[in-house]
Amino acid sequence: MESLTRRGALAGGVALAAAPLLGSAALAQSGPIKVGALFPFSGGLALLGDESYRGVEIAIEERNAAGGVKGRPIQVVRGDAVDPNQAVGEARRLTSVERVTCIFGTFSSSLCLAATQVTELAQIPYFELGAISDPITERGFRYIFRTNATASGFANMMVDSIRDAVAPAYKVDPKSLKVGIIHEDSLYGQTVAGYQKKRVQELGLNLVETLPYSARSVDLTPVVLRLKSAGVDVVLQTSYQNDTVLFFRQMREQGYRPRAAIGAGGGYSLRDTMEAVGAQHMEGALNVDFTQFRTNPAGAPGIEEFVRKYQAKYNMAPRSGHSLCNYMGAVVFLDAMQAASDLRAAAIREAVLAVDKPVGSTATGWGAKFNQAGQNERADPFLMQWQGGELVTVFPASAAMAPVKPVLGTA
Amino acid sequence: MDILVQLIVNGIMLGSMYAIISVGLTLIFGIVRVVNFAHGELLMVGMYATYLLGAKLGLHPYLAAFPVVVLLFVVGALIQRFMIQPLLKAEEHIQIFATVGLSTALVNLALLLFGADLYSLQVPSVRESLRLGGSTLLVGQAAMLLCAVALIGGLHVFMHTTPLGRAVRATAQNRNAALLMGVPVERIYIFAFGLGSACVGLASALIMPLIPVTPTIGSYFVLTAFVVVVLGGMRSLTGAFVGAMIIGIVDSLSGYYIAPDLKEVVYFAIFIAILVFKPTGLFGLGRGTE
Repeated sequence: MESLTRRGALAGGVALAAAPLLGSAALAQSGPIKVGALFPFSGGLALLGDESYRGVEIAIEERNAAGGVKGRPIQVVRGDAVDPNQAVGEARRLTSVERVTCIFGTFSSSLCLAATQVTELAQIPYFELGAISDPITERGFRYIFRTNATASGFANMMVDSIRDAVAPAYKVDPKSLKVGIIHEDSLYGQTVAGYQKKRVQELGLNLVETLPYSARSVDLTPVVLRLKSAGVDVVLQTSYQNDTVLFFRQMREQGYRPRAAIGAGGGYSLRDTMEAVGAQHMEGALNVDFTQFRTNPAGAPGIEEFVRKYQAKYNMAPRSGHSLCNYMGAVVFLDAMQAASDLRAAAIREAVLAVDKPVGSTATGWGAKFNQAGQNERADPFLMQWQGGELVTVFPASAAMAPVKPVLGTA
Repeated sequence: MDILVQLIVNGIMLGSMYAIISVGLTLIFGIVRVVNFAHGELLMVGMYATYLLGAKLGLHPYLAAFPVVVLLFVVGALIQRFMIQPLLKAEEHIQIFATVGLSTALVNLALLLFGADLYSLQVPSVRESLRLGGSTLLVGQAAMLLCAVALIGGLHVFMHTTPLGRAVRATAQNRNAALLMGVPVERIYIFAFGLGSACVGLASALIMPLIPVTPTIGSYFVLTAFVVVVLGGMRSLTGAFVGAMIIGIVDSLSGYYIAPDLKEVVYFAIFIAILVFKPTGLFGLGRGTE
């Protein structure tokens, strides 16, 4: 009896040990390539997490329809990351249980920062398609790659817009404009505002107020009154949805009309924000963000095709530009995997670093060229403006649908 | 000077919002002696109900207040009957855990049903600005102040002149004595929890046209409401009103003169100071009554 058990255990052990080897050996020949998709599918971030994932889903379906990667279909394993703890747990499951070849993610920076600690140790390439925190690609990791712009890219674009878009539209000297920075006081707002202050100094603009506030606040009148009494002409706001709505409403109620308000994506990008504020009051609000859908297709080839596919698949218009940007990133990385000599991490890294797409050659209008840290250096965000209830790209000129309108709100 | 007046007006308006939310919490705490951590989530439920009535049936939020108040009364009574009642004899912290659990459950239920997006009602008449001297306020804010005063006055009259009100006060003062006098204490508790929730229902209908609703909207208000209730002396409605005004004005002034992100620091500092120097609150009845 005893020997039987021992023998059984031994046999089982051998089988267990051999299974992954057999599995991966078999997979290497044929069978699907497993890739992970790590996004917040439930919880507070679920809406945009899901919207982001849809872009990945479309890219993978497209790829599979075209014969997959190296002649093998791609199979997605989803991981639900509600918070950083769960992101770590799901990253472990994807790398060690599901044994995925790579992971696409994550929408949120804190989730990405947590999950990549696991994937870097496991030497699984992590493709970030949406999180903007700069440190993600500043930690010296070898297997993290990011297609989208970073927080500093957003901040620089916002400040540069004062010089390149706002001042020309009003036909004034940019240095004559009083600039106010307001931001919600979590990591997101603090980071972007920090880079903004640096950039404002570099350009020699006139910064008169910097006001952090809590995004959960139910009253931003003190912020509005501070800006009003300082006579701020251009407001740079880094905000979520709730505080954006509140700021626009209370600006109007307090009779404060700056020449321009520029948002850092977030709350400014969402249609719900515009609807809550009212199209006529949101008119002219500027916004720096990833590519949205009202972009000139000449500067973003494939954008119309993407919208068509999205509508056919989900039976609705895209809810935000997140799906498009994740789609673009997933396409770039799937192409790189196809071009790689094999599907081991080192080969994928080599192939990603070899990618070279000029600006204006992808569905988002970005290019793709990765530095040694894994950051795409050709992914500047665009400047958009709310015009007649639509968020329209206004800068740079190659992607613009309309010129910048020198207004904010209607009387 | 204009700005100072405007800030004080804003503070009073903010205070009336805090007041109307805190009334229910004060009632529930003062009578049932339960610290209701799900209070903010009841507000959220009321706001979604107001939103649905407005968006689907086109009901003005002030009319929607009537069904929402009834709905919240029922919800509150059910919570008391099926959650708190079975735990009444347990230790206090067990009841607190129960309400914390309820709060988490409600937030996640809202996330499931409505997602993390915000919903707002477009009621332009409520957002109309009124000019008052050199300062502005909204019609909806003025309505809130009037309702807060009326609600507190009405509750005072109810508590002091009707038999049911007297029974409620008796239960609050001494549960066992009230029981001996033939007051159906358990039913009074159910009524009181319902009444407290109904007050939040009124608050939510008044707030909905001013502030968009999200699943986590309650968490912001509930902390402030706790400060207000403690400041007011835990069980005093007038105290809660005055406490709310103080917090509203401090909130508004410190947001402007100190920094918008530090206003919570200021009024939580006041909160701690009150706990240290006058633990029974500004309108408390003295030691041992809390």
